[in-house]
Amino acid sequence: MIAFALLFAVVSAAEPKLAKAAEVEAPKAEAAKAEAAKAEAAKAPPKDDGALPEAVEAFFEKKGEDGKPVLSAAERALVKKLPLHTREKLGQAAADGRVRSPDHLKVLLSLELSPQSADLIFTDNCVLCHSDPGHAKRTRFSLDPKTAGTPERLNLKSMLSDAHFRRGLMCVGCHGGKTTDLEMTEEISQGWPDKNMRPYWIPQFCARCHADPTFMRNFNPSMPTDQYAKYQESRHGELLLKQKDRKAAQCVSCHGLHGIRGPKSRKSTVHAQAIPETCGHCHADAKYMAGYKRDDGSPLPTNQLEEFKKSVHGKALLEKGDLSAPACNDCHGNHASQPPAISSVSQVCRTCHVMNGTLFDGSKHKLAFEKHGWPECAKCHGKHDIEKPSIDLISDAKDGLCGSCHDEYSKDNPECNKGARYFHSTLVELTKVQKAIPPVAEHLAERGLDTEPILISAGELDEAIMQARTRVHTFDKGGFDVGATAGREAVEKTEKLIAEAHAERAFRRKGLLASIGVMGLLAVIIWLKIRELDRRRAAERAQNKP
Amino acid sequence: MSTANATVPERLFGWLDERFGVQKLVDWAKHKEVPVGGHSMFWYYLGGTTLFFFTMQIVSGALLLMYYQAGETTSYESIRYITTKVPFGWLVRSIHCWGAHLMTVSLVVHMFSTMFLKAYRRPRELTWVVGFCLFGVVLGFGFSGYLLPWNELAFFATSVGTDSVKSVPFVGEWMLEVMRGGPDVTINTLYRFFALHVVILPLVTVGLIGVHLAFIQVQGMAPAMKQQTPDRPGLKFFPDFMMRDALIWLCCMIVLAVLVFQLPYGPGVPGIDWELGKKANPLAPAYPGIKPEWYFLWIYQLLKEFPPHLFGMEGPQAALILVNVLMGTWALVPFLDRKSRAGKPSPMFTDLAVAALIFLSYLTLKAWDIGGHLPAGEPDPKATAWVCSLIVLGVSASITIMRMIAYKARWFILSMAALLQVVLNGLAGLDYLIAGAIALAVAVVGVLALGDRLERGEAI
Repeated sequence: MIAFALLFAVVSAAEPKLAKAAEVEAPKAEAAKAEAAKAEAAKAPPKDDGALPEAVEAFFEKKGEDGKPVLSAAERALVKKLPLHTREKLGQAAADGRVRSPDHLKVLLSLELSPQSADLIFTDNCVLCHSDPGHAKRTRFSLDPKTAGTPERLNLKSMLSDAHFRRGLMCVGCHGGKTTDLEMTEEISQGWPDKNMRPYWIPQFCARCHADPTFMRNFNPSMPTDQYAKYQESRHGELLLKQKDRKAAQCVSCHGLHGIRGPKSRKSTVHAQAIPETCGHCHADAKYMAGYKRDDGSPLPTNQLEEFKKSVHGKALLEKGDLSAPACNDCHGNHASQPPAISSVSQVCRTCHVMNGTLFDGSKHKLAFEKHGWPECAKCHGKHDIEKPSIDLISDAKDGLCGSCHDEYSKDNPECNKGARYFHSTLVELTKVQKAIPPVAEHLAERGLDTEPILISAGELDEAIMQARTRVHTFDKGGFDVGATAGREAVEKTEKLIAEAHAERAFRRKGLLASIGVMGLLAVIIWLKIRELDRRRAAERAQNKP
Repeated sequence: MSTANATVPERLFGWLDERFGVQKLVDWAKHKEVPVGGHSMFWYYLGGTTLFFFTMQIVSGALLLMYYQAGETTSYESIRYITTKVPFGWLVRSIHCWGAHLMTVSLVVHMFSTMFLKAYRRPRELTWVVGFCLFGVVLGFGFSGYLLPWNELAFFATSVGTDSVKSVPFVGEWMLEVMRGGPDVTINTLYRFFALHVVILPLVTVGLIGVHLAFIQVQGMAPAMKQQTPDRPGLKFFPDFMMRDALIWLCCMIVLAVLVFQLPYGPGVPGIDWELGKKANPLAPAYPGIKPEWYFLWIYQLLKEFPPHLFGMEGPQAALILVNVLMGTWALVPFLDRKSRAGKPSPMFTDLAVAALIFLSYLTLKAWDIGGHLPAGEPDPKATAWVCSLIVLGVSASITIMRMIAYKARWFILSMAALLQVVLNGLAGLDYLIAGAIALAVAVVGVLALGDRLERGEAI
C-alpha cells in the first residue's frame, strides 16, 4: 500500500513537467514528421501517370503529307504500355535525335516489343541508327528486307530473336565500339578483315568465345566448346582453312548471321527438321557442287536431299515430326562432318539399330561382306534413300535382294536361297494373319463379343513378327526361329480365340432364334385365341340383337 | 355347382373368395370395358407398352445390380466384367440399355397420341399431369443411369449436363453442388446418381404409375372425341383387351431380342450408344463432340443457339427459362384447352402438338449435325441448318397435306409458324432466335386474326 502511495505521489508530481515538455516538443516533432514524409516521397518510385515524354509526344503530334498524324492511337497505346523507365529511355533517344522521326518510331513500334526488348533497343545506338528509314539501304535493318530492298541478313525482326542479342551480346560484342557511340568510330569493325578474307576468318572469330570453356560456362555450362577443333578436322574445315576454298561451309553458312537461334528452336536453321534443307542448300545445288569429287574421283552427287526426303528416316523426321529420326548430322557429324567410310557406315547405323548390328556380327554374312568390302547395312538398305524394309526385300526370287545376290555369289550353295525362301515365306505367312486380325476383331466387337483376349494375342504376334524381322540379320534358321516360333504360337492362339468368339456368336444366334420361335409360337396362340374371342363376341352380339 | 364336383382351380378360387372376396374383383373386371370407335385402338396399347418396357427395366436392372459395384475403382470394372465374363451379362446390359430407349420412345408416342386425341380433356386432366410427371421421372432415369458405367463419355456428358444447372437464378450454384455432391463431378456424384437411379426414382415411378392406373381404373379409358356417348358396346378388358396387350408385348420382346443380338451396343448414333470405351479420367481433357441422350438433344441444341448474354441474363439461363416455360405449358395443356374441356373440337391444340414436333425435330436433327459433316474438322453449322430444314420442311409438308386430306384440317397457324422459324433459320440463314421471334409474332397475330374462323368444321 505504502509503495503504491509513493508511486502515485511521484507520478502526480512529474505530470506538470511532462506536459510542459510536450508543449515545447510538439512543433519540432511535426517538422521532423514533414521532413521524414518528404524524404520518403523522394525515395518512393515516381508516380506513373502514363504521360509520354515531350519529344515522343511531338512525334505523335506530327502530321504526314496527307494531313493525318503519322502515328496512330494504337501506336500511342503501345508506347503507353511500356514501363515508365523504358518510356524515359525512349524519350531521351527521341530528344537526342537517335530516334529521328515519327516514321523511325513507327518501325520500332511495329516490332511489338516486349518491355525487355524495348529496354535493350532504346539504349543500343547501333540498332537505333541502323533501323532509321532514312539510313542507307546497304546497312539498314528493316522489317521486310525484300520489300525494303535491304540485305536479307539485316532482318530486324529475326535479329531481335537472335540467341546472342537476347543474352546481352549486342552489336558491339562482335563489331566493336560502344552502344553509346553516335557515329561510326574507328574502333568499330577495326578487327574485321577485308570482305574477301572474311570466310576464312569467321570460324576462328566465333571460336574466340565458343572455344573458351571458361567464358561459355557463364552462359551455357552444358554447351560443348570443341566445335572449332572439330571443324578444323572436318571436310568443310579442310576445304576452307587448308585449301582456301571460300565456297566451303563455315559457321555462318549453317547458323545464319543476325538471326541465330539455338538448335531446339523450330525456327532455327539447325533444328533437326531444318537440317536437311540447310545442308541441301549447298549439297542439293548441282551448280554449286560442280567440281567436288568423292575419294574415288567420281563427282559428288547432289540428290541426297531428294533421296532423304523419300526415305523412311526423312518421312519420320519431316512428315511425322519424329525428332529422334536421324537428319544429315546424325550420320555425318555436326562440326566434324565427314562422309562415313565403308568401314564405319555400319557403326553409324548401329548407334540406333543396336540389335540388328549385333546379330549381323555373329552371322555368316559378316565374313562374306568383309571379303567383298561391302558396307554392311548400306549394301542391302541403301544410304540416303533407305526405305521401310518390306518382306519382299528378302525374297529369293531373281529380282529379290537375297535371290539376286545369291545367284551371283553363292551359286554352288543352294542352302543360301533355301534359307532366304524360308525367312520370306514365314514372314509372309505371319504378316498375312497379322493384317487379317483387326477387321475380324472389330466386327466381333461390334457384335458385342469380348475381343480383348484376341487383341492381346494380336499384340503378341506383332511383337513376334518384329523380333523375327530383326532376327533375319542372323541369317540363320535357328536364330530366326526364336522369333518365328513365337509368331506361330501367337497365330495359333489368336485363331483359336477368334474361333471361340465365332462359336459364341453362333450360340447367341441359336439362342435368339429359339427365343423368337417360342415367343412367336406364343404370339400365334394368343392371336388365334383373340380371333376365337372376336367370333364369340360377334355371335353374342348377334344373339342379343332384337 | 357342388363342392364335391369342383375342379382343383375352382376349389382354390373358392378358398380365396371365401377369405378375400375375389369374386367381387372378377365381377368388376368382367364389366370393365375399353371404348371402341372414333379412332384406331392402337393408341390404347401404348401405355401398356411403356409399362411393359418399365417392367423389363426393373427385371434387367435387378440382374445388373447383382454384379454392379458403385465405386471409383469398381464401377467401370464391374460393367466390363458384366459384359465380358458374366454368363449372359452382355444380354442383360444390352436389354437394359435398349429397353431404356424403347421405353422412352413408347412414352413419348403415348404422350403425343394423348395430346392429338385430346384424351387429357375433362375429367382426365390429372391423369395427364401424373403422366407428365412420369415423363420427367423417365428423363431422370436416363440422366442418372448414364453416369453409372463411369466411362469417359458418361463422365464428360454428366459434367456438361449438370453444369447447365448453374445458370438457375440465385440457387444455381447450390443446386449444382447438391447434384454433384461437390463442386465437380466426382465419385460422390456417381454415388448419389446410383441411389437416385436404383432406389429413389423406382419408388417414385411405382407410386406415380399406381396413381396413373388408379385414375384410369376409376375414370376408364378416354373415348374418342366423336364417341362422347358411345352407341356401341366397348371391348371387354378381360380377356379381350388383355390378350391383345399380351400379343403386343410379345412383339415388343421379339423386337428387343433382335436389336439386342444385332446391335448389342446400340445403333452407334450419338445419344443412342452405350459402347463402354475408356474409363473416366477426370484429369483428361474433354474431347469435342460429346452429346447427351437423344431425348435431351433438343435442349442441348437450344443452349447452343442462345448467345452468351440475352436481355441482361446469361444465355444458358435464358435458354433454361424457355425450356421450363415450354415444359410448364405442356404440363398444363388440359387446363389451357378450353374447347376440348367443353367437348368441342380443339384444332389449335392439335396444331400445337404438330408445332411441338417440328420444333423438337429440327433442334434434334441439328444437334446430330446431319448434313454438316465435312471430310475434316468441325461440322459446318450452316450446312447442317440447311439440310435439317429441308428434311423438316419435306416431312412437315407431307404431314400437312395428309392432315388436310385425311382429317380435313384447316387450322395450321402454329405449325406454319414453327415451320417459318425453320425456314428462316435453315434456308434464309437468319439467327435462330430472331427467326423464332418472327415466327412467334406471326403465330400471335395469326391466332388473334384467324384463330376462331379456321376452327369451324374441324373434327378434333
